[in-house]
Amino acid sequence: MTPLLLILTIAVPAAAGLLVLLLPSRRAPWAPAVLAALACAFELALAIYAFPHDVAFAWSWMGFGAEFALKLSRFSAFILLGIATFSFLVTAYSAVSMAKASSSRRFHAWVLFTVALSAGAVLADNLILFLVFWEGLLLTLFAMIAAGKTRPFATAVKAFVIVGVTDLALMFGVMLTGHLAGTLSMSAIRLPLDGLGAVAFLLLMVGAMGKAGAMPFHSWIPDAAIDAPLPFMALLPGSLEKLLGIYFLARISLDLFVLTPESWVSPVLMGIGAATILLAVLMALVQKDYKKLLAYHAISQVGYMILGIGTALPVGIVGGLFHMLNNAIYKSSLFLSAGAVEKEAGTTDLRELGGLGRSMPITTLCFLIAAASISGVPPFNGFFSKELVYDGALERGWIFYAIALGGSFFTAASFLKLGHAAFFGKPTNAKRTVKEAPWPMLLPMIVLAGLCIVFGVANSLPLERLVQPVLGTAMEGAHGGTFAGFPTNMLLVGLTAGVLALAVANHAFGVHRTGKGIGAVDHIHHAPGLSSVYTLQATGVLDPYRMLVVVVGVASKGLYALDRAIDWVYSGLAAQSALAASWVLRRAHNGNVNRYVLWALAGAIAVVLAVLAVMGGGR
Amino acid sequence: MSDLLLLVPFVAVVLLYLLPKRARAVGLWVAFGILALEAAAAVLDRFATVDVGLLAPLEKLLGFHLATDGLSGLVILCTGLVGMAALLVARRTLESVNERFLFANLVLVAVVGINGMAMVRDLFSLYVFVEVTAVATVILVAAGRGDHVLEGAWKYIFLSVVASVLMLTSLGFFLLSTGGITLDAARTGLAANAPLAWIAMALFLCGLFVKGAMVPFHGWLADAYTAAPAPVSVFMAGIVTKASGIFALLRIAQSTLGGATPGREILLVVGAVTIVVGAFLALTQTNFKRMLAYSSISQMGYIVLALGGDLHLGILAAGLHFFNHAVSKSQLFANAAAVEKQLGTLDIDEMGGLGARMPVTAGTSAVASLSIAGLPPLAGFWSKLLIILALWNAKEYAFAAVAILASLVTLAYFLSLQRKVFFGKPLEKWAGAREASAGLLVPAVALALVTIALGIGFPFALRILLGGGA
Repeated sequence: MTPLLLILTIAVPAAAGLLVLLLPSRRAPWAPAVLAALACAFELALAIYAFPHDVAFAWSWMGFGAEFALKLSRFSAFILLGIATFSFLVTAYSAVSMAKASSSRRFHAWVLFTVALSAGAVLADNLILFLVFWEGLLLTLFAMIAAGKTRPFATAVKAFVIVGVTDLALMFGVMLTGHLAGTLSMSAIRLPLDGLGAVAFLLLMVGAMGKAGAMPFHSWIPDAAIDAPLPFMALLPGSLEKLLGIYFLARISLDLFVLTPESWVSPVLMGIGAATILLAVLMALVQKDYKKLLAYHAISQVGYMILGIGTALPVGIVGGLFHMLNNAIYKSSLFLSAGAVEKEAGTTDLRELGGLGRSMPITTLCFLIAAASISGVPPFNGFFSKELVYDGALERGWIFYAIALGGSFFTAASFLKLGHAAFFGKPTNAKRTVKEAPWPMLLPMIVLAGLCIVFGVANSLPLERLVQPVLGTAMEGAHGGTFAGFPTNMLLVGLTAGVLALAVANHAFGVHRTGKGIGAVDHIHHAPGLSSVYTLQATGVLDPYRMLVVVVGVASKGLYALDRAIDWVYSGLAAQSALAASWVLRRAHNGNVNRYVLWALAGAIAVVLAVLAVMGGGR
Repeated sequence: MSDLLLLVPFVAVVLLYLLPKRARAVGLWVAFGILALEAAAAVLDRFATVDVGLLAPLEKLLGFHLATDGLSGLVILCTGLVGMAALLVARRTLESVNERFLFANLVLVAVVGINGMAMVRDLFSLYVFVEVTAVATVILVAAGRGDHVLEGAWKYIFLSVVASVLMLTSLGFFLLSTGGITLDAARTGLAANAPLAWIAMALFLCGLFVKGAMVPFHGWLADAYTAAPAPVSVFMAGIVTKASGIFALLRIAQSTLGGATPGREILLVVGAVTIVVGAFLALTQTNFKRMLAYSSISQMGYIVLALGGDLHLGILAAGLHFFNHAVSKSQLFANAAAVEKQLGTLDIDEMGGLGARMPVTAGTSAVASLSIAGLPPLAGFWSKLLIILALWNAKEYAFAAVAILASLVTLAYFLSLQRKVFFGKPLEKWAGAREASAGLLVPAVALALVTIALGIGFPFALRILLGGGA
């Protein structure tokens, strides 16, 4: 294992991306997708080959401590493997789903650049280098959303502004961290969480959360779900951004700073996590669009990860990281199922869907497995990671546990509604004959659904091979060194089962009340108090981005007034007084030689008197 | 001592008058050759080799002494450059052979005076050479054809008389207080803090302030510059005023004042007042040459202000600004001559969009304007920077601030000049205007190139200057 291989993980997708841009698209419209899939397959092979190794190297680069330093650790090898896996599956899928899209070439080029930059961000061992890759991802994010079809540009700008603002916080955080630590080498930094250290942590945390899509930096994701190409949703908000954001959050909590349960930062993180879980899932509950519903879940699930890491306990951190992995699996699977439905049924509006279970059995099966997994049904993978997070949350305070459990209720309820509305019931759109999606689209879904089962039943495989090595020595002594196996706390398992049963009962009640699957949660949607909040949200009033836009608008008007005032001082007051002074002086110069001589003599007298005064004073 | 610098122009004038009238056209080129040789001697630093000892008996008899140093070299180089430019302008703007012949001769006489000023080491000889230059210049102004030449010349004579009175009185006081009028004797007297010596010094400075047009001794300058024929403006603005006023102040600051109080304070206050008043006066002028004239006043204020700063750095900065301003201002007057020749007017308000018709004139004028306003990387930036540093080192922060703020006004009036004359839409009225003839462009381009080259190569130039000074 040489440094060259590490560089190849960045260089190969980047070079493939350039090649895609240079390809003659007219003659071979399939070429970009195939090339992207091949490059990602190669990336996956590299990541698997590199996985067991430990490599680190540093080349001096920009000076001032900014080195081109890459490091493959247990953690980065794990994330790199995830990036390679998901990008390979999604490119294989998009080779079919986007084959006819006019933007296929641009889209695949940007996917490849995203993969290269993500690999760079994960491998970077220098904060400046990390920042370069991380900021590069902002550009590819913008470009990929803009490659969508309907009105993507406003959404792309929205994503760019939100993620850009969090990246700015990250930039300040990097500067402050480098200043406090006296080094920019990430593996050499270990700062206490107090005073300025806490400020630096919070700044970096904002950057990580902006990437992961936690509240309040989430509001571009539901918009993108409608506007952006679907493989984008599966790849970025579905998997890669979660991997990167949570990776960095875990890095700063575990390595760069010393996060302890006693620190006040820990409850802050847990609070953000709990709020994100509950608020986003409440939004997801009432969505009437397949993709948009998934998008709110993509936000909600981040809350579990942040909550788990925020506990600062080994069980919570392992749970959070495991959940990150599980979420990427089932969430991309769900997005891909949405893509299949969109391609075959022509819409993702739940009101127009129904009864797809008969015509698309494999898609339905994959959906059911993934949905059970996200709802926390044993023995799928989501159940195990959620139980670990619950365990940690309960230890830190019952309120966090209660909120997380409540989130599970709504998650289960919303997926019952989604599944019922889309795949069961009567086909509402009878005119169109729907058939199963093509195999290249099904295969990635099947692989991911299979992983949901494998990582649940045999959870020691991901936990002991991938997640627990991240914590290293912190794992020793706790739970006998592993969290694998069935949860030990039967009380928590019982409560989870109870909540799931409640969700089923709620669904039955809702369906009975309205007579159809889509109306399953209408009684919550129209509950007194909640309905007005939902109305506000639907009109966008509660969108932090919209609030920001309003604030910025007011501030910019105020600043413009201030600017005019300053401008008046310069170009009005200053210029006018200069001209007035000039005019007065000009008037004094009337060409009268007597006057000039008088001035000269007066000047001479003044100079002589001044000299005498100074000489006299000197005595 | 290099007596040839005095003898050659003087003898040349005499010989030129012995020529038959038919051959008078050659006079311009003789003067040009002499000035070229001067400049070459200054660049190559060969003053010692042009000393033939012819004046030695005279020196012994009259008790005056000639010597050259870096400052003399500087002023002689400027004289050469500016004089050549003025002669080239004269060739294209003075109409008759006789006028050109007279111009060349008077320039040579003035050059005798300037060279003398550059080399003398006593106050009386300094006064004499100042007057020699003044007489030649008055005739130059008065020999023009315009309506206001007499008025301009008259004002110049009148104020010069005031200066003469001040300086002669000063010389008397010096004789009374120190018993000598050499620069060294004056320094001894000042160092002893003799009040009479200081009064004498103050009066002499005031005389030089008139010659150098410091505010409030500046009344004559704008009228004289504006009334004078184009080549005379180039010559006067480029070197005459500077040599007889500013260079003499430089010499006195260097060898006599030595940074002593209250001499330094006088220079600071007069310099600052001159900068500000000159700049504001330039701001609203509507006559091209008059605006340049007030700009000259303001810029000479910078040189005097620098002399009030840190002694060594101040003199270096003043010398550099002296050179930069001589080059750029004579070039701007050459530009003004080109514009006047094409349009027949100097009224800025009537102009506009000339850049399209006279691109070379517009371009070179922009270079000189920006250099004087102190924009990097042109030569004027460096000298202004050194002036501010000299003030900063001497802890004269308020004066440094004045220097910086006034350069904003400088930029303002130069930009307004460029905009009104060269930018904007080409006016219908000047549809027939053409670029000036090559004869007028050569001096402008050459001087602009000097400004650019010195600006870009300034670090090297500074190393040579400091190396030569050490």
